[in-house]
Amino acid sequence: MRGATAIVGIGQTPYYKRGTSPEPELKLALRAITQAAEDAGIDVRDIDGFISYASERSDPAKLMPALGTRACRFAALVWIHGGALAGTLNIAAGAILSGQAEVVAIYRSMAEGNSQRLRVAVAQNDTSSQYLVNGLDSPAQILALRAQRLMEHHGVPRSALFAAVQASYYHARANPMAYGRNTEMTREIYDAARPIADPYGLFDCSRENDGAACVLVVSADRAKDLRQPPAYVLSAPMGTMEGGGALEENWRPYYATAGQRELAERMWQEAGYGPGDVDVAQIYMNMNAMGIGSMIDHGFFSFEEAGTFCTFENLIAPSGRLPINTSGGDLAEGFIHGMGLIPEAVRQIRGTSTNQVPGAKLSLFTGGPGDLMSSTALLGSADTL
Amino acid sequence: MSYSFEQHKIIGAIEADDDYWRHLEEGVLKVPRCAGCHTWTWPAHFRCGTCGSWTFDWVEVAAQGLIFSHTRTHYAFDRVLERREDVPYVTLVVELPHAGGIRLIGVLQGSDEGLAIGAQVTGSIDPPSAKSKHYPALRWQLAR
Repeated sequence: MRGATAIVGIGQTPYYKRGTSPEPELKLALRAITQAAEDAGIDVRDIDGFISYASERSDPAKLMPALGTRACRFAALVWIHGGALAGTLNIAAGAILSGQAEVVAIYRSMAEGNSQRLRVAVAQNDTSSQYLVNGLDSPAQILALRAQRLMEHHGVPRSALFAAVQASYYHARANPMAYGRNTEMTREIYDAARPIADPYGLFDCSRENDGAACVLVVSADRAKDLRQPPAYVLSAPMGTMEGGGALEENWRPYYATAGQRELAERMWQEAGYGPGDVDVAQIYMNMNAMGIGSMIDHGFFSFEEAGTFCTFENLIAPSGRLPINTSGGDLAEGFIHGMGLIPEAVRQIRGTSTNQVPGAKLSLFTGGPGDLMSSTALLGSADTL
Repeated sequence: MSYSFEQHKIIGAIEADDDYWRHLEEGVLKVPRCAGCHTWTWPAHFRCGTCGSWTFDWVEVAAQGLIFSHTRTHYAFDRVLERREDVPYVTLVVELPHAGGIRLIGVLQGSDEGLAIGAQVTGSIDPPSAKSKHYPALRWQLAR
């Protein structure tokens, strides 16, 4: 499937504070999808495939009447939570390459007032009694257990977590879309923040916003004649390895990272590139330490190297060693279940990011780290095919 | 016997660990081991992924182990509001080397002096209460 499909359109609503969207969830989805079609120069009525993930509630049946959809020929929801993010591209490629659909919309819409994702979907989906009986409810707490292990046992320093926070807020300042663009970030402010679940304080956690985002995927052939430079999908594997899955803190052997090591290996192999070739990366940070774990799984650095690699200078555009989360990412731009990461990965290939890495050709984005199953994806410009 | 946890069943789990809660409510820590290949199977499941057996022996194990990880919760999260007054409280993931290295979750009781990965803890069982959602609960204490 390498390079056989491409992202040709992106659409995003503003990020609203959770629970304050002026528009209902379904309307947000419609706005993101129509915007993506406009961006691509595709008639929105021609979208014939719809893919989302996790607990998305704006299903195609509800969208069709308002989009004027001529034919919905493919629809799928990808397991499980934010880990599914990048895997949506593989499903889209499967649909397109097998002739089931021609124009596929991948989207996610959230308005807490409508779907109550945090209170209903996340909370009552599959958090087992083993957690709830013992005072663990939120992903923040569960992922804190992983982070504690990453820091205390594997020796990843606090400075690495802070560097990711600082780089995210630095990038957000230049991005008018970023919800956290006016938030000042210094080590003093970071250290003084409200503790949530050790080792996490407030700024280690993603935001949870209302909003919607969409990307449009078509075949590489069709992509050539459209309005935007295509962002080719070089690889987008999903899944988990033996010893992963729903194991209630019994993950082996990679408890403290992101559960993405095998995924990354499959991706490098399919794409024909390695970590050293990546120009820019959007690293899913439900919590920042999980994103550090994700970069370790992808081979950017080892446990021991995390402190020297993860510095502010190394993580920022335009010329850091690995600029990450150049829109501000999940920590500082906003969080719609990670969906904002894909448009930014595409903008880097188009050359239109507000924190552009000059000449970026290989653009990585990762799925939710530490999810029961996850995914990761490498996008490339035409030169990388 | 009618069990408290059965009357307050938490929805959403796969429910392979009902026997764990039953034994715990009777005051005994038992975990499943495959009757076919003797692999410790935790979290409890319906079929042994190693040998394919559908039968498990519930084996009593000593409530002691080593801290695998820990977190101190500083915020009363929605679905565990019953612990509001205990915030901040510490939850442990504890490895049981004598039971195939399975890891059990439980709240720390007593002093947190010496709280660290690798530290030894011993467990006790709290009877069902509102705080643990009317389930019995394994509690860990740092070994002195």
